[in-house]
Amino acid sequence: MTAVIELDNLQVRLGGRAILNGLCGSLGGKSIGLLGPNGSGKSTLINTLLGFHPPAAGTARIFGQDIRTSSAELRAGIGYMPENDAFISNMTGVHFVRYMAELSGLPPAQAMERAHEAFFYVGLGEARYRKVGTYSLGMKQMAKLAQAIAHGPRLLFLDEPTNGLDPPARQRMVQLIREIRDDGGIHIVLSSHLLRDVEECCDEVMILRNGSIAAISNLEKERQENRKFVELEVSSLNGAAGSVDGFTAAMEAIGCECARSRNGSIKLVMPAEVEVPRLYSLAAQQGVQIRRMNFRRTSLEDIFLQAMEGGSAAARSNGTAPPPPAMNQGVQSGGL
Amino acid sequence: MAVYKRNYRSYSGALTASPWRFLIIARYSFIELFAIRFFGSVLVTCFFPSLILAFIVYLTHSETVQALMNLQNTNFLAINSLFFVRLLQIEGWFALLLTAWVGPTLVSSDLANNALPLFLSRPLSRAQYVAGKMVVLFALLSSFTWVPGLLVFALQVTLDKGTWLHDNWWIAPAYFAGALIWVALLSLLALALSAWVKWKALGSLALMATFFVPAGMGEVFNVVTRMRWGRLFNPGYLITVIWNDLFHDALHFRSAAWENIPVPLAWASMLSMCLICVWMLSRRLRAREVVRG
Repeated sequence: MTAVIELDNLQVRLGGRAILNGLCGSLGGKSIGLLGPNGSGKSTLINTLLGFHPPAAGTARIFGQDIRTSSAELRAGIGYMPENDAFISNMTGVHFVRYMAELSGLPPAQAMERAHEAFFYVGLGEARYRKVGTYSLGMKQMAKLAQAIAHGPRLLFLDEPTNGLDPPARQRMVQLIREIRDDGGIHIVLSSHLLRDVEECCDEVMILRNGSIAAISNLEKERQENRKFVELEVSSLNGAAGSVDGFTAAMEAIGCECARSRNGSIKLVMPAEVEVPRLYSLAAQQGVQIRRMNFRRTSLEDIFLQAMEGGSAAARSNGTAPPPPAMNQGVQSGGL
Repeated sequence: MAVYKRNYRSYSGALTASPWRFLIIARYSFIELFAIRFFGSVLVTCFFPSLILAFIVYLTHSETVQALMNLQNTNFLAINSLFFVRLLQIEGWFALLLTAWVGPTLVSSDLANNALPLFLSRPLSRAQYVAGKMVVLFALLSSFTWVPGLLVFALQVTLDKGTWLHDNWWIAPAYFAGALIWVALLSLLALALSAWVKWKALGSLALMATFFVPAGMGEVFNVVTRMRWGRLFNPGYLITVIWNDLFHDALHFRSAAWENIPVPLAWASMLSMCLICVWMLSRRLRAREVVRG
């Protein structure tokens, strides 16, 4: 997988404070999610990649080009949808998008043609001759998306694209992002604090916490690995506590990773080759009754919570799954 | 692509030349300016002084028109350096008024709508953004200062059959340089104030205040201290000193040299003002505001 973004000990200081602390990592997904709580450095990272903030140390590369030395060239192939309102209020929508496309280097005629296309694409075709200042919040978000894609960028930065959108508008935005991802030769970097947005749109995620990388995870790989997370509620048939321990040991012997929770349930990760009936036979052998069984797969929420609650901020290598949530007693279940 | 084909496609066509993209900003700003009601009429009004003085030049050379107008003596209509410096002074006032009207909206509207990140996320530097906005004022102010001024000069050269050109050729470069300095100062000042003052009316007031408040305070300082250095803060006075020097003392300042600021100091003061404007612009024109603390 070719790296879209490479972070090489990237440090950014703003107003005397360190905002990004030596980020290192490589992101190569078609659609990359930047996750993290408010103030974790997601927008600062995007702004730095766009050349708005100079790195205090280290650097980053986009498609192999250094942001320190090739900022203008890089920006020619980047589309950016900012988090806050950003527009020219006294221009009509289509002229606003045409203006932005021209600034990205498109000749006037092509810019106009693509501005019309972009407006129809985002579903604002009928409103394209209205002044942007008169648009509703949802329409402004769509207009921002239109200006970001009108010039046909190779990389699209979307900073909180679903901010302030009602559920249907959010769904439409997410659908558009997925279409853009799937249709053209474009990479997307989506910054959000909404797990659902990232989960629905991205195949790779970088989680930031306090300006450091808490985790990098390849969601696509996670999904493909199809690891089986099971939560069991068991009781001993003869009332002896030892039989549950024996059941746990037997499951570990066939390759399951097990953990007992305080309420007595057992959380386990089953290897791909182990099937559920095997658990029943093991339970029967150990004199244990399985009273309840919940299946769940790893979700972005699990990964996120794991990253947030992890003591160290050490980044995991790209594509390496974090320890399963079942292994962490503090993790709440929140499956898909 | 037909509008019903609603799918994303990348662009692989030709791109415009990168160094000249700032002119796109100028073009769109012009479109916005000419959409303002009465802007065209006001701009045309700014050409009147040049037209009137061009007529005077024609009048001094046309005995027929003089006879028709029953003018016996046209000596008071001497076409010399004073004639051109007066034209420059009048046009300078028009330039100030027009700048105060249109200048404050140029940058402030982009800042008010947070559009700067959109501009600067494209292959466009802050300097190019400023250049694009500055071209607007530069072109507008030039159109009725040095351009018609030089045309009046050319008219005089064409109509005069004697040695006028030989004796006064230096007026043309002096006029060009004098107007250019004034236009540059006004453009930079208007953009700097536009970047700091969001409201248009307040921006216009601030621009006028920049010319009149320091001038008044400077004169008060002069009276109190019995010195002349208060005039260093009076842009109108400073530009007059520079123009007078460029036009070989046409305004007779040298006879009262003791009460005037030396020309090099006037130049230095003007340059300082321009640098302060550039600093103000560089402080304000950022894609992202950094809050310290």
